[in-house]
Amino acid sequence: MSALRQVMCRSTASLQLYQANRAAAARWASTATDGGPLDPKTALARPEELEQRNKLSGKITVPTAVNLSPISGVPEEHIRERRVRIHIPPKNAMQSGTDNVNTWQIEFDNRERWENPLMGWASSGDPLSNMNVQFGSPEEAITFCERNGWRWYVDGAAKPKKERVKNYGINFAWNKRTRVSTK
Amino acid sequence: MIRAPLVKALGALGSPTHQMASRAVRTSAMVAQTPAKAPEKIEVFVDDIPVQVVPGTTVLQAAAQIGVEIPRFCYHERLAVAGNCRMCLVEVEKSPKPVAACAMPVMKGWRIKTNSDLTRKAREGVMEFLLMNHPLDCPICDQGGECDLQDQAMAFGSDRSRFTDINYTGKRAVEDKDIGPLVKTIMTRCIHCTRCVRFASEIAGVDDLGTTGRGNDMQIGTYVEKLFLTELSGNVIDLCPVGALTNKPYSFVARPWEIRKVSSIDVLDAVGSNIVVSTRTNEVLRILPRENEDVNEEWLADKSRFACDGLKRQRLVAPMVRMPNGELQAVEWEGALIAVAKAIKAAGGQIAGISGQLADLEAQVALKDLLNRLGSEVVATEQGFIAGGTDNRANYLLNSTIAGLEEADAVLLVGTNPRYEAPLVNTRLRKAYVHNELQIASIGPKIDLSYDHENLGADAALVKDVCSGAHAFSKVLEGAKKPAIIIGADLLERADGAAIHATVAEYCKKLKKPNWNPFNVLQTNAAQVGALDVGYKAGAQTAVKAQPKVLFLLNADAGKVTREQLPKDCFVVYIGSHGDNGASIADAVLPGAAYTEKQGIYVNTEGRPQQTLPGVSPPGMAREDWKILRALSEVVGKPLPYDNLDELRNRLEDVAPHLTRLGQLEPAGDAGAAGTISKSIGGGAIDIKLKELRDYFMTDAISRASPTMAKCISAVNKQQRENEAKQSVAI
Amino acid sequence: MAKFLGINRLTKLFQMVREAGGLKQAYLKLYRNDDLKIGTLVGIDKYGNKYFENPYYFYGRNRWIEFAPHVNMDYDGSMIPAEWYGWMHYKTDLPPIRDGCRPKYKWIADHSENLSGTKEAYYPYSTTPNKVEAWEPKAKKQ
Repeated sequence: MSALRQVMCRSTASLQLYQANRAAAARWASTATDGGPLDPKTALARPEELEQRNKLSGKITVPTAVNLSPISGVPEEHIRERRVRIHIPPKNAMQSGTDNVNTWQIEFDNRERWENPLMGWASSGDPLSNMNVQFGSPEEAITFCERNGWRWYVDGAAKPKKERVKNYGINFAWNKRTRVSTK
Repeated sequence: MIRAPLVKALGALGSPTHQMASRAVRTSAMVAQTPAKAPEKIEVFVDDIPVQVVPGTTVLQAAAQIGVEIPRFCYHERLAVAGNCRMCLVEVEKSPKPVAACAMPVMKGWRIKTNSDLTRKAREGVMEFLLMNHPLDCPICDQGGECDLQDQAMAFGSDRSRFTDINYTGKRAVEDKDIGPLVKTIMTRCIHCTRCVRFASEIAGVDDLGTTGRGNDMQIGTYVEKLFLTELSGNVIDLCPVGALTNKPYSFVARPWEIRKVSSIDVLDAVGSNIVVSTRTNEVLRILPRENEDVNEEWLADKSRFACDGLKRQRLVAPMVRMPNGELQAVEWEGALIAVAKAIKAAGGQIAGISGQLADLEAQVALKDLLNRLGSEVVATEQGFIAGGTDNRANYLLNSTIAGLEEADAVLLVGTNPRYEAPLVNTRLRKAYVHNELQIASIGPKIDLSYDHENLGADAALVKDVCSGAHAFSKVLEGAKKPAIIIGADLLERADGAAIHATVAEYCKKLKKPNWNPFNVLQTNAAQVGALDVGYKAGAQTAVKAQPKVLFLLNADAGKVTREQLPKDCFVVYIGSHGDNGASIADAVLPGAAYTEKQGIYVNTEGRPQQTLPGVSPPGMAREDWKILRALSEVVGKPLPYDNLDELRNRLEDVAPHLTRLGQLEPAGDAGAAGTISKSIGGGAIDIKLKELRDYFMTDAISRASPTMAKCISAVNKQQRENEAKQSVAI
Repeated sequence: MAKFLGINRLTKLFQMVREAGGLKQAYLKLYRNDDLKIGTLVGIDKYGNKYFENPYYFYGRNRWIEFAPHVNMDYDGSMIPAEWYGWMHYKTDLPPIRDGCRPKYKWIADHSENLSGTKEAYYPYSTTPNKVEAWEPKAKKQ
């Protein structure tokens, strides 16, 4: 599955299955490439024992679609009518730091806000407007949304950074247009 | 080379140093044999983590590759290296002194320590010097909360101060400068990173800013008193790592932690710059650029950034219907929709629609569907284009792509001024000019493009000359690796526009290279490409010619349709956000949402669909445009088959599947209109609408309503008057 | 004896009715004031309110007001003007008519009652301009 799933969620079950498979594959890969010292317990165990131990360790993946919305207590209108945008938060153009832009975030569609007539504070009738949950990958966010019964879409894929060659010397090049004109 | 045999001969001696030297010679010889395409990567260690980098990479970039961020003030990845703030000093093993990471290229096997005692001490020292001459006015500073100096002082500065000189010599104080109505200066806060100076000369191409004095007395300024007037001036606000240059209209308005940020798209030109809309209590406070390598890099043009106060003025907040006495009067939605529906019933299919500059794709599709259901096929864009040229997508796109233009090495501009029609396309051209030795020529009036270019003349016949290969510049284009010809959208409205288009398209087939399409049309309206993609016809006159009984104006404010052209009994319905030319001739005004208030797709000039997201809700009784049309269809009795945005997007996908693949570019084929088109170019001078900076600021309903844009125009006029006065004194 | 039989209370009742000016008037006074008392008339203010005192009653109930007849049942505690306020609330025992030290300036404004709940009540309003400036169409069709 590519991260560019900008369509609405269609096949919940297949996604979950896919993730289960991928998680299994990852576990398999990490044990196979592990070149560390042998663990006598693992080496001497019978295959059934190993299987049991594998089952007990790590996460249990349920290969069926889980929908928490009937028991989560979230009102119906905030499940059916909400769209979740899964995105990487943009870097603040005013600053050079990049620490907050490496996660995936979910964000709900923007509802009406108004100024409170008494004090002029910002009011909203939307309980989900402040729910910023961060995820390590879009897949995690998708799973979260599907478990909660929200419609989602992924906005903007992570693009690789362009490599730039930086050179102090070109500021003083005598035959190039990169020579600085103002100091 | 002379020494090579000698070294080889010495290599036989067998000493380790000699062996090393001879190996060096061998490797260099190998590099010389294979062309320098893929230089061998070298290994360096950043905090003992090995990292492979290409030679010439700076220490700072190498560290960034593994996610280690070295603090910096003067370094900016899109500007030249200056190396003057010294904040990026890091320790390199076996180097006696710390090195400036931003300017120092790595050597093989270097061990860089970004968190050693020496590094930390160096940073603390630099920070101490910076803070010594920086005022402690963070509580009243507009940068507070998003200030690099604040954050880095917190993270890398010393935890105590040794500055006790407050009573003796005091802190440095610098007089503020007036550099225009957009950028506010508080020069005492300046830390001399010279980012603004480099931006002005490298990216904007105006050598207005510079430094005077040395050391403690150094000042950033314009040398002589002068305004910093360029279409990109707002970017120095973002670049400034402290609060020395701040947003004047936004000053003292809000703090960064109070505002909500909504990622959106700018629609005031056809570039489709990615923006972040900052809102609070249902009010747009400011607009910042959002990084997108393919579109706007990290920059934003001034109109897009500062015209946001136009969103709060001249708004349509209630539906209006023209009363028998000729006055528009505010009514309820129901009354307005019934009035329009009655007119539609009476028209009996003689209906037309015109889509303007700021219309979103959803509304355009809804309008077209509605009109088709009512038995009319006449939907047109306000801006003209060549007749019959809209079937082939390549005919009206910027096919070389915005990012692609940066690789171009010969460009011909025909009847366009990218500097003011699409400032961020112009920065790409300027980037190619600086870094890629781009050669540029223009046909049209003499204009200042912020870089050197050859003006071939203004006569339209020159297009024929160049495209026949007879002109001197044809040789340049034909010899170029990536040539491009850019035609202005306004030029194609001319009577011989089709001929110019066909001539250039023909020539571009000759110039074509693999993966490179040299044919470009630079659009000026954000809605134009999308409208043509979903099957709108071009030109408001198409709709006028049909002599409709009901005319829909969807955000059409350019004033290309007047009452005189229409039949006397024509009922004009305006749907849009601002009261401008369109609303003033309308019989019914249905208030729509502006681009910060709706989720709508806009297709930029290179054909990239992107969507805006709502930051605030539409004022008063205004509603999203497509919802108005949906409600109207219900009243008329021909309901449109979509009730929510998803269903409308599905319909959009049926019409043109590429339009819902947001952010992605669908390559178009060769340009060239179907059928035979006469290639006789009529001649006559080519003119450009936006020649000077003052023409740039007000081009659409939103920027015309903006007080800041009005201030910009008066600032430009004032500057010009002063210059003229100075010149007359000199004479 | 009479006290034991409660005859003195009856006498008091008759006295009250007589003071009020007949059975009907007594009933009306009771209806209007929820109380029927007799006392000495201490003074009348310029709005027509009458102030009474009777030390027979316990402290706190021994001074009262009969509002001017024209306000009928729409009387309100805030109708007591400032000069009588002190006497009514036992801040002073000198009613204003007997207190010669009270300042009397020309600029002292008339007393105004609390208008809450009436049409003239004060409503707070915002002084900030609207965030969105609406377009005003030009009068004539072009």
